[in-house]
Amino acid sequence: MKFDTAVFEAKSLSYRVNGNDIIKDISFVIKKGEYAAVIGPNGGGKTTLIRLLLGLEKKSSGDISLFGQKQKHFKSWNKIGYVPQRVSQIDRFFPATVEEVVKMGRTAKRGLFTRESQEDIDAVGNAMLKMDVTSLKHKLIGELSGGQRQRVMIARALASEPEVLILDEPNTGVDMVSQNRFYTLLRELNKEDGITIIFITHDVGVIANDIGTMLCINQTLLACHNPHEVLSCDEMSKLYGIDAHLVHHHHH
Amino acid sequence: MLDIFQYDFMINAFLAGIIIAVLASVSGSFIVLRRYAMLTETLAHVALVGVAIGIVTEQNPIWVAVLISVISAWLIEYLRSYLGLYSDSILALFLSGSLALAVVIVSVAGSFNSSLFSYLFGSILSVSEEDLIVMLSFGSLAMAVLVGFFKEFYFIAFDEEVAQVSGLKVKLLNFMLVTIIAVIIALSIRVVGTLLIGALMVIPTISALRYRLGFSKTILLSLLFSISAVLIGMVLSYNFSLPSGATIVLVILGIFIISMVINRK
Repeated sequence: MKFDTAVFEAKSLSYRVNGNDIIKDISFVIKKGEYAAVIGPNGGGKTTLIRLLLGLEKKSSGDISLFGQKQKHFKSWNKIGYVPQRVSQIDRFFPATVEEVVKMGRTAKRGLFTRESQEDIDAVGNAMLKMDVTSLKHKLIGELSGGQRQRVMIARALASEPEVLILDEPNTGVDMVSQNRFYTLLRELNKEDGITIIFITHDVGVIANDIGTMLCINQTLLACHNPHEVLSCDEMSKLYGIDAHLVHHHHH
Repeated sequence: MLDIFQYDFMINAFLAGIIIAVLASVSGSFIVLRRYAMLTETLAHVALVGVAIGIVTEQNPIWVAVLISVISAWLIEYLRSYLGLYSDSILALFLSGSLALAVVIVSVAGSFNSSLFSYLFGSILSVSEEDLIVMLSFGSLAMAVLVGFFKEFYFIAFDEEVAQVSGLKVKLLNFMLVTIIAVIIALSIRVVGTLLIGALMVIPTISALRYRLGFSKTILLSLLFSISAVLIGMVLSYNFSLPSGATIVLVILGIFIISMVINRK
């Protein structure tokens, strides 16, 4: 695993809507091979931060680099697998089998008018195997449980053979057993396949022991540390009901 | 019943009908899944402005309709994606605005006649060789885009943002999709008429959706429904002297009702 290349780098990143700061002056680096969590209260800007990194929102000021390149020049988007928050909101009647959804992960890699190559078929097969959804491949996505859908969405992201996997609140609407299984999988992807993992969560207790880096976001970056330092915070206990203390950086 | 094919114009009509059935159902499925079905109605009314201009200037109304629909589709897409106006309001604006414009153009020119009526509701007897050539050339172009970007359009319909993050040029692809929708609508005015083409784009897909299948099978089923409806509709229209567009739409409505009943749960 290499920790030298920066996958994401933000410098003095700010995002304002109608004069209100949503994100204010955030700087951080996430390096290749890291296992990072973005935590913070609801409305604290976690999702916005990720959307800024992915170019889904336009920053007000500051700089974003991906794999060492300025965001506007960055072209290798297929290095990034993104699993958004909306897993539980998939249209029940959308005509898509699990296999069709996972194949979408190959769309950007395949050229026009090309038939599926053996490489495409293998990547889709491997991704389904890894996320344990192969037996569901002919089922409609709308017929699956929350946990199953979430695994399908991750399989789709993995099918593009990404170097980074970004997950937004991946456990919304998923039961505890599935959650534990899910974290085991994420850890495997990070340790065995060397995929950089970044995910948003409010679920600090479960993940604290595994995470390398934790970004604590509430408009601005409150802390960027290894989790045990962050978790010894006062505010954290107020925010999350955990027996801990917080290093607090005031902002306006 | 096969005596229907002894006339050249009926062969033209059937060829035209099949081209439209294929194009409308495949392109329509992407529009339906994106909850953008009203775009078809709006562009159909816009195409009418083209027809009106065509009649008044004595050009082939199909050519002019293609041009006007494509320009309007771009304008609608621009207003929607860059200026952030509500898409249903933009559609309402274009729908009534263009209808008003078409009516004014036609009445100023004093050509409110049966020929306009045939563009509104279709008239299979009026498909000329030239129409067929226009439909074949634009139609194959539209089909090539649909086939070439099939998986891209599908990905965007399922999840536009993830498609964008994966590196697809979503805005460009959206423009391409509305462009071919506009072309297909303009091409179909001879067969089903501008006021009824929306049905042929939307109903085969929503009927096929009732069978809860994956995407490839849903598309194939919708294609089957669409072609059957056009063929049955034309035969009925010929034998009972009914307006072709309306008859085709009633047949496809029948298919939808049967699909609803079979799949009620």
